Amino acid sequence: MGGYGDVQLLRDDGLRLDGRKLDEMRPVTIEAGVLPAADGSAMVTQGLNVAVAAVYGPMEAHPRKIQRQDRAVIDVRYNMAPFSTSDRIRPGFNRRSREISKVTAEALESVVLVERFPRSKIRVEIEILAAEAGTRCAGITAAAVALADAGIPMRDLIVGVASGKVEDIVVLDLDKAEDNYGQADLPVGILPNTGEIAFLQMDGDLSPDEYNLAMEYNFKAAAEIHEIMVDALKRRYEGGES
Amino acid sequence: MVELVPTLLRQELARLAEDDLRLDGRGRWEGREVTLETDCLYNAEGSAKVTMGGTIVYAGVKFELRTPWPDRPSQGSLMCGAELRPVAHRKYEPGPPSPQSIELGRVVDRGIRESGCIDMESLCIVPGEKVWGVMIDIHVLSDGGNIFDACGLAAIAALRTAIVPAERFDVGEDYTLKVKGTPIMASFTRVGGRYVYDPSEEEELGGDERIHITLGDEGHLHSLQKGLRGVFTPAEFAEIFDVAHHRCVELRKLVANQEGN
Repeated sequence: MGGYGDVQLLRDDGLRLDGRKLDEMRPVTIEAGVLPAADGSAMVTQGLNVAVAAVYGPMEAHPRKIQRQDRAVIDVRYNMAPFSTSDRIRPGFNRRSREISKVTAEALESVVLVERFPRSKIRVEIEILAAEAGTRCAGITAAAVALADAGIPMRDLIVGVASGKVEDIVVLDLDKAEDNYGQADLPVGILPNTGEIAFLQMDGDLSPDEYNLAMEYNFKAAAEIHEIMVDALKRRYEGGES
Repeated sequence: MVELVPTLLRQELARLAEDDLRLDGRGRWEGREVTLETDCLYNAEGSAKVTMGGTIVYAGVKFELRTPWPDRPSQGSLMCGAELRPVAHRKYEPGPPSPQSIELGRVVDRGIRESGCIDMESLCIVPGEKVWGVMIDIHVLSDGGNIFDACGLAAIAALRTAIVPAERFDVGEDYTLKVKGTPIMASFTRVGGRYVYDPSEEEELGGDERIHITLGDEGHLHSLQKGLRGVFTPAEFAEIFDVAHHRCVELRKLVANQEGN
């Protein structure tokens, strides 16, 4: 955030560099049940982002010290493939992916009915195959669809969306340039039916008014993505296939 | 995680083998349907997705500028690595690279390297100072059996579509990487006492040792590997080598067709 002031991110006609309106998100596609080996899975594309999530479990929680007597724990791994970014990234966990994994797990534990599965573990693997800003949000959306695909009971789906600020203007769903040179980023995980928020991060600079507008954009986008999620799950089971 | 090998599965596989049958109804040398997609990943300089039954694998090619090894000042380098991430199966756990993933990456690497399809001299920019390092990363997303063949196919298909990002590194104009030939791998597992081609997940679970054969365009061997516990006879090898030869020709056509599109 707070990048270089001399990069133009809004066109003279008020649209963004890729032609989107301020409150327009990148095209989203979702497919459920993409990985045969997993208990549940989903692939989400958002603009050029490609996120895949797999769910395994509920299964025995080990090592035993992670067990909870009253509920399941959700073990999330968010990982970027070495070829997902412009410069190759070394395989393996880094501090960024550790943090994202942790807060994503906590968000998912807020929507999954974890008390139904005491002492067990649900594994959620999020793999980013192509990254163009907003991968944690695409990952959350993919994880939610994968959990539903695995038949794991949830209070609601959870949708990952982000808004931010470029050239002092609030915009929905930052792309790469806007993320690199913009002034703020506000990724959230929204429960579309209850209107609650289970995931929240932010960096940069937003006034209270800007925050409210960004959140308004986020909720609007979450409703749109929610429809696509539901549609993907319906398509998966319409044919009577399990 | 230790996979339990169900005795019942082994018995069933042995019983089927008596009538030369397979669990999924395939013939002994019959492969599952293979799909190949290239140029499917933004940010990778070359990419491919392969599906083989329940197996899904992605490969991405990236380039780095590096200084050449002192003993080979005019040669670039090629590296191929595979990751068996926990996403791919419940049996895979997080942590440092497992012996299986190291073996997988190295077997694929040898097939491509030893086929000579990449001329290391062509990766040189300034002798002794600047050369290209080519990295093929293979990501297994779903292990439905026979990931070796899927990884080998994805790796060479990705490599063959790679664009050298010279502009981004300020060393000239982008150009298509020169790749001579299409090395292809064929894998066999002993199931119910005899070898079958392209083992499924269940066949690997209830089977024994495996053999991987990589053949170049001329039908020459470029890499061989035997894995897991078990022995085989020269006659058995002769038989599967013949199958591998035919199968590699077919898969090479698949790669060529994909490039033709």
